[in-house]
Amino acid sequence: MTEPQTLSLGDTAATDRAGRLRAVLSRRTEGRAVVLLAVVFVMALALEPLVFTAYEVTLGRVALIGLVALGLTAVILMGELDLSVASTLAVSGVVMASVPNIYAGIAAALVVGLLIGAVNAFFVVKIGINSFIATLGMLFVLRGLAFVLSGEQPVRLTNIEAGIAFGRPLVGPVSPRILLFVLVFIALQVFVTRMRVGREFYAVGGNRQAARDAGIPVDRRVFTGFMISGFVASLAGVINTLELTAADPTAGGTVLLASFAAAIIGGVALKGGRGSIVGTLLGALSLGTIEVGLTLSGVQVDIQQVFIGGVLLIAVITDPASLREATANFRLFRRREPEVQS
Amino acid sequence: MNDSTPTATTAAEPEAAAPAPVDRSVAILVWVSQRGVFLFTATLIVFASVFVNGFASFVNLTDVFYRAAPIGIVAVGMTFVVISGNYLDLSVVAQVATSAVILIAVSNEYGIFPAVLAALLVAAVYGLVNGIAVGYFKANAVIVTLSTTYIGLGILRWLSGGSIFFGPEDGPIRALGQVEVLGLPLSAVVLVVMALLLAFMLDRTNFGFTIRAFGSNNEATRLAGVNTSRVVVGAFLLTSVAAMVAGFVLAAFSNTAVSTMADGFDFGALAAIIIGGTSVFGGRGSILRTLLGVIFVSVLTNVLVLSGVGFGWQQMAIGLLIVVAVSLDTIARKVATS
Repeated sequence: MTEPQTLSLGDTAATDRAGRLRAVLSRRTEGRAVVLLAVVFVMALALEPLVFTAYEVTLGRVALIGLVALGLTAVILMGELDLSVASTLAVSGVVMASVPNIYAGIAAALVVGLLIGAVNAFFVVKIGINSFIATLGMLFVLRGLAFVLSGEQPVRLTNIEAGIAFGRPLVGPVSPRILLFVLVFIALQVFVTRMRVGREFYAVGGNRQAARDAGIPVDRRVFTGFMISGFVASLAGVINTLELTAADPTAGGTVLLASFAAAIIGGVALKGGRGSIVGTLLGALSLGTIEVGLTLSGVQVDIQQVFIGGVLLIAVITDPASLREATANFRLFRRREPEVQS
Repeated sequence: MNDSTPTATTAAEPEAAAPAPVDRSVAILVWVSQRGVFLFTATLIVFASVFVNGFASFVNLTDVFYRAAPIGIVAVGMTFVVISGNYLDLSVVAQVATSAVILIAVSNEYGIFPAVLAALLVAAVYGLVNGIAVGYFKANAVIVTLSTTYIGLGILRWLSGGSIFFGPEDGPIRALGQVEVLGLPLSAVVLVVMALLLAFMLDRTNFGFTIRAFGSNNEATRLAGVNTSRVVVGAFLLTSVAAMVAGFVLAAFSNTAVSTMADGFDFGALAAIIIGGTSVFGGRGSILRTLLGVIFVSVLTNVLVLSGVGFGWQQMAIGLLIVVAVSLDTIARKVATS
């Protein structure tokens, strides 16, 4: 990565080996994800090696969590939030299943995703609402829309054959779902690191005013980000519908937490400007492995949620910026205490 | 006290409109966005009592109160978190359900006082964990409370096994749930008392003043020598206590408790707060506004249900309301300041 964090490796503190290791683990965006992934892999090897034997299951789970997380990363990089991804997934699935022709349905679903992204961006950019509120409103609207369109019942796919064909692995364990996930990953990775428009996302998230002064069309970048997020969420909806051969208006309920968790564990900063697609992938890999590992060990779904919630909580408070705040706070306290007493 | 609340929040209006020759339409826009919720709630109630069959009956209005009370109590508590500029507390879903299940399940075994103590303990833990993570670690409130929701709900479902708990028919909880004061259910009285208490805290105490100051400009408040992290913890603790009370009310109402009984309270309460006109950027807002937002949303939902409108359309209406209310506010402020 070419973020400024890499520069700080040259600090005097980082010259000795321990300091260097600490710098890599805490400063580098993906540091915590690497640690978590290593811990998860070692524990899985020791306790439940089946995770790796049944890697098809694991990869499938990773792909579902990771896909939405990848789209979200594009938005969060600019310091915005998109809470509507789960509802977008549900609506696009329902739209797809409602169209008789499967290809037309997929196309319609993806167009719906892009449209939703554009509407979100319209409220954020043109009207200037906080993206958290705009996408919260859209969450309600889209959830309602999914219920209205589907008549509050799961919609069966007319062409069930296509759905079954979609579930079959192409080569080895690689099912179309995993293939699509990898393609989206590569596309976004290239977009964010190698293309000018994508690299400008970091500038927009780091300091919006500075980006504007430097001549970056900030509004257009935010539009692009939301459309990426909407498109990827609808793609996830299409995949979900194909695999279940039906569209459920309540689909995507658990996706919101898992996808945010994957991005944040991967080191994407919610304030924007820091994060990477690779980090999100690592986050999704560790979360998917935890989930499948716990399931195979016979741990109840409820306890799995406790685990993932705990991992997310630890991830968000061990963010380098958060840790700095906490230690600064502590110092402030110690300095202030005598003043209070005198 | 209620008189002072709107004047406090609308104090900025004359200032904004003061640079004399402001366009007439701008003035109207600002006025509507500031007072909109008062206007719309009154209009909706008049409209509903005239045109909607069965709205203005005593039975129906009591039902509206019953339904509005628990989410209203959560919303007035959460107003503190919103005014402090920390968006919301998603974990109220887990908190309300946990408090309800504890009240019924623990009092079945050990009596009502241990149950209340246990619920208080749980509320304190939630408030402290959320507050410390957001206040001291400056972590994003949405993500922190999202994770505590999952932890809390996971533990609750695991311990309760997802089963429904029933209180005894002749128990104290049943009795409390059936108490009526002046024809109003006790839950509505609790809502009003909580609202008065919290409005007093927000408008008349040092703590409330600091929360508002922190929400308006956290850096300035910190530089003024306020321990801002502790203020944030206070806001989250207050929300947790309100959520606990809401859980009690919910449990007493039906004399049953399940882990899923508070689903939708998180965004439902936030919707009421936002529609009431409290700014999600922090600083501006009042308990009275939240109360009006709650009344507006519950009356609207009731009208839609009475008119036979489905769940999907109800959700869409609430979503649109959020976006329209905030758009109006944002545009008005943009126009007024330019």
